[in-house]
Amino acid sequence: MQGCNNFNNLFVNSFILIMVDKMVVISMTDWQAVLLQFARSYSFFAPVQFNGSMDYELIDEENTGDIIYNHPKPSTSVKTFFLPVKENVTADIRYQKPTLIMGVPSCDLAALGILDEMYLNRDYTDIYYKNRRKNSILIGYDCNSTVENCHCTSYGINPFPENNFDILLVRLDENVFLQPGSEKGIAMVKELENHVKVVEASENEIQHISEKRKKIADSLTQKNKKLPGYELSGRLINESGSEIWKSYASTCVSCGACATICPTCTCFLLIDRPGFEKVRQLDACQYPGFERVAAGEDPLEELPVRFMNRYQCKYVWKPVKFKSIACTGCGRCIDTCIGKISKNELLEELASEEKA
Amino acid sequence: MKDTNIYNPLRAKLLEVIEESPTIKSFVLEPEREFSFATGQFIELTLNGTGEAPFTPSSSPLVKDRIEITIMRAGYVTEKIHALKPGEVMGIRGPYGRGYPLDELYGKEILVVGGGCGFAPLRSLLYNLEADKDKIKKVTFCYGSKNPAECIYKPYIENLKAIEKFEVYRTVDVADETWAEEVGVATMLLDKVEVNIEQSTAVVCGPPVMMKYGVMKLLEMGYRDEQVYLSMEKNMSCGLGKCGHCMMGEFFVCKDGPVFRYDEIKDQPDIWK
Repeated sequence: MQGCNNFNNLFVNSFILIMVDKMVVISMTDWQAVLLQFARSYSFFAPVQFNGSMDYELIDEENTGDIIYNHPKPSTSVKTFFLPVKENVTADIRYQKPTLIMGVPSCDLAALGILDEMYLNRDYTDIYYKNRRKNSILIGYDCNSTVENCHCTSYGINPFPENNFDILLVRLDENVFLQPGSEKGIAMVKELENHVKVVEASENEIQHISEKRKKIADSLTQKNKKLPGYELSGRLINESGSEIWKSYASTCVSCGACATICPTCTCFLLIDRPGFEKVRQLDACQYPGFERVAAGEDPLEELPVRFMNRYQCKYVWKPVKFKSIACTGCGRCIDTCIGKISKNELLEELASEEKA
Repeated sequence: MKDTNIYNPLRAKLLEVIEESPTIKSFVLEPEREFSFATGQFIELTLNGTGEAPFTPSSSPLVKDRIEITIMRAGYVTEKIHALKPGEVMGIRGPYGRGYPLDELYGKEILVVGGGCGFAPLRSLLYNLEADKDKIKKVTFCYGSKNPAECIYKPYIENLKAIEKFEVYRTVDVADETWAEEVGVATMLLDKVEVNIEQSTAVVCGPPVMMKYGVMKLLEMGYRDEQVYLSMEKNMSCGLGKCGHCMMGEFFVCKDGPVFRYDEIKDQPDIWK
């Protein structure tokens, strides 16, 4: 079972020398031919720049040249491929073309840990999730740059994939470096040898990648040095008074964007359709009425309580029930908030209050 | 094992609708195949094309070919269910969660405290305890409802009173000329009962406010937190520990409950809401 050991990585010190396992190199020219083959064989998605933001796009034979490499991070997380906003969960699962998703950053791959625990385990397997997972190939990207709210290293996740990928990809200038991370990935890389020139990466090249990794990891750690770690955040939230939540929730409009965009938020609503059909639709604890019962009681009726609930869920409660981390530091909830609420500012404030 | 679809309900035919009170009806269903549950576990009942809601069966867990669900008209789905006529085909998913801890009740003096429609899951428990009469010391059942008309399962109560080892105390908030029993809130009945608290386990089910004051009263009487079991009512939507609607602190009520020992949950936020 992949993906349940992210929590153990919490204590990985990003300052240690970052080792890179065996990698192979393909020239960018040859890689273009590979991409065309991908576009023909799979439902192939990769990050593309569009109107100032980057997100996964369906790649066909026309737009392989638009693919962005090693830049964080697609606007939506890879969660949306496995838990679509709406899915009929009583329909037949028919044969689908396998999906190839390229360009998944480390934070989103780490987030698959808790999704897998939730949907594949816990006594009940969701066959729709399982089918999509089984039918997908994930190509992870190293992040060779950072964007404003990235904070994966604060939670023990490195800005380069270590888990849950089939192939890892780093592009340096006119070469593409690949490292298989699963049996599926090993088979795919091996198959490439039949079509294009595949050589082993040199020590120099690997050294170069390692240095890049270290530089990015260090810069993230430096940038977020005031941010409390995952476990400490849980304790701070648990011990916090109500004032800070009232203050930060004052600009919250309960739009639920933070939960919708979150790679680890998985709550849903079941909607009934005639014919005993059921539709699983992503839901958010930030919407009013999320926990309301028929007789009217609603533990999350008050906005500050509802707002705090999401933090408690991620940092206090999920760690009790799940092995995988429930926030991977992608920062999208901060990017997306129309109330300009920064989770990190809130947590930093809690940490500074404690020190004071 | 082949994966089954956890969202697909079993079909069940509605055989009979019993009017228990002006706001509460019982629905007797015949599932398309044998359906087993442990007392206190709940099911998700689907009204085709309309919605799904969680209910704890009120029938005996020993009966496998019929299942009875007692439903108070409270929201959108229950309103529509109340309008159903026999012959309708409904859907059942489950059973889900952790039911009543029978092993903890055997050998004890069991104090069962119910309010309003909270009698529904408790009736299933009482049926079970009746069948296991030899394994228990006694059952004291305290039940409160708003008024005599809202007092449900009247014929069943009469039967229960006649059973050896079972004592029944009833109260209504507001009495009328037909009422010859106690008047006042359900917790008041606890002043009347005689139980050896050291030998006793209490089970409480009812509206949140009644459960809150019921637990307070039991603790005042000398019950320890570990001797009190509660059936929590939350918005259990999937029943599978996934959808998140029933989270109560770290607990998924649908999976970790709905029956909890008081000490397990007393520090979680908003348990009475």
